Amino acid sequence: MELSDTQIIERTLGGEPDAFNLLVRRWERQIYGLTLRMLGRDEEAKDATQETFLSAYRNLPKFRGEAKFSSWIYRIALNICNTKLRSRSKFTMSLDEQREATGFELAADLEDLGSGIQREQITRHVRRALQGLPFEMRQVIIMKEYEGLKFLEIAEVLGIPLSTVKTRMYTGLSELRKRLEHLREAM
Amino acid sequence: MNTQNNCNMHEALMSYLYDESTPDEKLRVETHLTDCVACKQELHAFERVRGMLQQWQLDDMPVLRVSTEQTGKRSILAVLKELISVTPVWAKALGAVAMAMLVLAVLGTDVNVGRGGVSLHADLLRRNRVVEPSNIGGQQNPMSSDRAGIEEIRAEMKSLVNQLVSDSERDQKERIKAELVSLQSELQNVHSADLAKVISRIQEQQTRLKTIERDIDRREGLDLTDILFSEVSKPAERSTAGGD
Repeated sequence: MELSDTQIIERTLGGEPDAFNLLVRRWERQIYGLTLRMLGRDEEAKDATQETFLSAYRNLPKFRGEAKFSSWIYRIALNICNTKLRSRSKFTMSLDEQREATGFELAADLEDLGSGIQREQITRHVRRALQGLPFEMRQVIIMKEYEGLKFLEIAEVLGIPLSTVKTRMYTGLSELRKRLEHLREAM
Repeated sequence: MNTQNNCNMHEALMSYLYDESTPDEKLRVETHLTDCVACKQELHAFERVRGMLQQWQLDDMPVLRVSTEQTGKRSILAVLKELISVTPVWAKALGAVAMAMLVLAVLGTDVNVGRGGVSLHADLLRRNRVVEPSNIGGQQNPMSSDRAGIEEIRAEMKSLVNQLVSDSERDQKERIKAELVSLQSELQNVHSADLAKVISRIQEQQTRLKTIERDIDRREGLDLTDILFSEVSKPAERSTAGGD
């Protein structure tokens, strides 16, 4: 029988630190996916994933079990992503990233779009469009679309009202619609 | 028919799009969509955006090395720091003295504690000088010369400790003696002050006694009736004066 997250935490705190590796294996894919989509850089996402689990391990005695472990670890991951994004200076951002961050339309790429657009190209556009969104909207969309969280769960992770989550989702999707509408004809 | 999306349906549309509507909310949205072109178009556009977002999937998971072991390991320095922080002061002092004595013993330092104070003399080559005669004779092996050196150091340490103990005892005796002298003089001062107070009180009492004696002498010259009625007549006189 598979142990629940709470049972694994109890074992870890009860003197079996290796039990925490079960939690790592269970959640590393989701956390990596979240950090990769939030940060847009593979190496940075790997670092953020590692930092997330280390932070969770160190702070495990503070986990009270009132919220789900997944909500707690998502919150840690998002805080780490936020810190990393804040520490990025304009000088360390690539030209594309700077254009994305300012919401600049990728006009040059539009010219390259032919009729048979490949999945890779769509992925690239989606990634850029997401990177151009404000942090607050991006995190809601990523948790909803890729992590499959319910609106209530997102509200719990972020500690904000349910209506705010839905409003951010609506605004974010509207923004993405503007940025990705051009792909419609190409698909 | 509404073609502008100015309806206040944002939150309800989101719940509907992600299939999280309550039955009532779902009915309300579907009814609204039959009349509102703008909301209907927006909903379709959002579905297309969702389709595009789903194109970005993680094909393979990179190998992550998330290890919790490094959080469990601590440096020796960190362990020592924690140990020192929880050690009582007396144990720290004892440890420091032991360490100092060990270092001095290793260095072959002479420590002389006398009336002139403490004098230190470090001589790293002293041990070599001690073993020199045996080396010249070639009779003893290096092990026995080392033992002899250790015995000598041990004897020196013993005498040093004895000397320290006797000096400490002597110092303590002198200190206690001085304290006793000061206590005695303090007691004498307190005693003399108390004595002066008692004398002044006695003098005071003597003065009062003399006053009483004089009063008695004065009254002996009067009749008994004068003494008795001289006090009573005054209130009677006051009351008659008040009645007028």
